[in-house]
Amino acid sequence: MARGVHLTDHRNKGWFIVTRNGQLVHATGLSRTYTVGRREIPALRGVDFSINRGEFVVLLGPSGAGKTTTLNLVGGLDRPTGGSLSVAGEVVADGSVHAKESRLNALRREHLGFVFAEFHLLPTLSALENVQVPLIWADESGRDRAEALLCRVGLGHRLTHRPDELSGGEMQRVALARALINQPALLLADEPTANLDTNTRDEIFGLLRELSDEGLAILFATHDHELAERGDTVLRLSDGVIVHD
Amino acid sequence: MSLTRLAIKSLLLRPARTLLTIVSVAASVAVLFSLLSFNSGYQEGLQKQMQQMGVHLMVVPIGCPYEAASLVLEGGEIENYLNESVAEEIAGMEGVAIAAPSLMHAIVRPEDGRTDIYLGVDEKHLELKNWWRLNDGEKPGPGLLSEDDAVLLGWDAALIEKREAIGERIWVPEIESEFSVTGILEPTGTQDDGFFYVPLRTAQEQFGLEGKITAVQVRLTDPSMAAEVADALDARFAGVEIIRMEELLGSMTALMDSARALIFAIVAVVIAISGVGVLNTMLMSVFERTREIGVLRATGAGRLHIFSLVWTETLALTVIGGVTGLGLAAVAARGVEAVIKRFVPMAPQEAMTRFDPHAALICVLAILGVGLVAGIYPSLRAAQIRTIEALRSE
Ligand SMILES: Nc1ncnc2c1ncn2[C@@H]1O[C@H](COP(=O)(O)OP(=O)(O)OP(=O)(O)O)[C@@H](O)[C@H]1O
Ligand SMILES: [Mg+2]
Repeated sequence: MARGVHLTDHRNKGWFIVTRNGQLVHATGLSRTYTVGRREIPALRGVDFSINRGEFVVLLGPSGAGKTTTLNLVGGLDRPTGGSLSVAGEVVADGSVHAKESRLNALRREHLGFVFAEFHLLPTLSALENVQVPLIWADESGRDRAEALLCRVGLGHRLTHRPDELSGGEMQRVALARALINQPALLLADEPTANLDTNTRDEIFGLLRELSDEGLAILFATHDHELAERGDTVLRLSDGVIVHD
Repeated sequence: MSLTRLAIKSLLLRPARTLLTIVSVAASVAVLFSLLSFNSGYQEGLQKQMQQMGVHLMVVPIGCPYEAASLVLEGGEIENYLNESVAEEIAGMEGVAIAAPSLMHAIVRPEDGRTDIYLGVDEKHLELKNWWRLNDGEKPGPGLLSEDDAVLLGWDAALIEKREAIGERIWVPEIESEFSVTGILEPTGTQDDGFFYVPLRTAQEQFGLEGKITAVQVRLTDPSMAAEVADALDARFAGVEIIRMEELLGSMTALMDSARALIFAIVAVVIAISGVGVLNTMLMSVFERTREIGVLRATGAGRLHIFSLVWTETLALTVIGGVTGLGLAAVAARGVEAVIKRFVPMAPQEAMTRFDPHAALICVLAILGVGLVAGIYPSLRAAQIRTIEALRSE
């Protein structure tokens, strides 16, 4: 594994942004109820959790448990219907008070990275260009950094390949580099290994483990029990609530 | 990576659709540009031609005056004739400086794809066309038409005949006669360049039209008296049409104005249609890329970023199309001109379409306007896409 970039070298930005009690994410009574027509679907029913910097949290639960909902809330892509949530020093929601959308955009831009099960790369862009997409919104250029990150995730030899010329594992590595380009404090990973075979899954997971050891906090949603033990902390989610064993 | 680069790369997702949209924009810009430059060229050419004529009135046999005048100017056969005595009488009238008779006859040679127009004239015609010069720089004198077999060639006529030297002979099998070139005229940029000028007597004899003429071109001592003299002529002669050249110019311009209004209405529709095409393409693209837009939002893009991205894509489409269209029009200008000349009366002989930077600017602004407007709705739709739903969508 290439070690060209040591994430802690340039992660100072995220490093110190923590909530008052030293936590990167703090959620209390976090709820999200979807309204479909006149029907109310309580996807998340008052969960409490926190994530420390550099902590590898596995969010484990079966399909429909509310994993994606949780990640969306923490990522500021969606707003909770109850409870309070702060992420990287930003009060995302406190009861009925919500952060402005522009603050949430900035939060994602500066402190958060996303990876998804379906990779979600832009098909017409090369690996290198895909990694640089978040820089557009940050009004930065960082070709060198993108290249270094691709080397870091083991894709130094695939810079100019387009997604359809890459394997699933390679695509997820590109997506991971894209998530890391803005030097986030927290990586939100929604079943990133769901579409990979066991070997590739373990490789990607190993890579995440390394990154976490270097100081990146990770919220890793999965229904894969096997992976649960490999994180620092496990949050078992079932039917919108956290169950403690 | 910049926003613009991302926008252009996004257009490559559906290359065929993008190309089609560009082509449609290019086509409408090409049409707009051609019409704009043709219009200014036509106006200019027509005016120049009229001024150069130095002819204030034209007396022709009765018939549709504009059709007849157009025939006289462009060359062609007029069925009816005037008696040559009319010219002498007109010359004696008050306010008339010169009254030059002419007899026009066309020799059609379909096998060569050409029609030679022979114009029988006398020395008064040379007096009337006092701006004519021979290709040796001299003013053409009456001696040029003194011999019966003399022919004075217009510049284009000389080119067609491939005659360069004085004294060369031209055999005209249709009338079994031979002419001797006495001079070649410098180009004037008008229809005059295309004619074969022969002595009036010769023309009358050769074409079997003794004592006949097809037109009398009149110069007045005072051009502002045109209306009065025309009235006097009208009262005096029966069976003639009196055409005032300034009126003719006015009618031609009015005709062109209404044709132009129609043409521009069509162009407006064409441009609107291509604008709707652009809007449609971008809207489809936005719907197709819903999930991608969700991903962009997840990587930190705000609504304004998404709006700008789609707007930039729309502008890129229209600008690329517009520039292509301008290039196309510039290249195709010659062909377009040939077509237009066939359908517009009295088209000037000079090039009517030339690359007019003013017209190009108007085109660029018009298409930019179309792009800006067409881009608003798709961009708004893109900006309004809800991220979590976009990420869930397939
Ligand atoms: N936008 C939505 N509108 C309505 N209901 C929704 C919406 N998103 C999620 N839900 C519902 O909320 C519940 C939790 O969904 P969520 O996507 O968070 O589950 P998950 O744990 O990510 O499941 P999976 O492992 O299948 O991805 C489900 O019952 C789902 O149907
Ligand atoms: Mg999910």
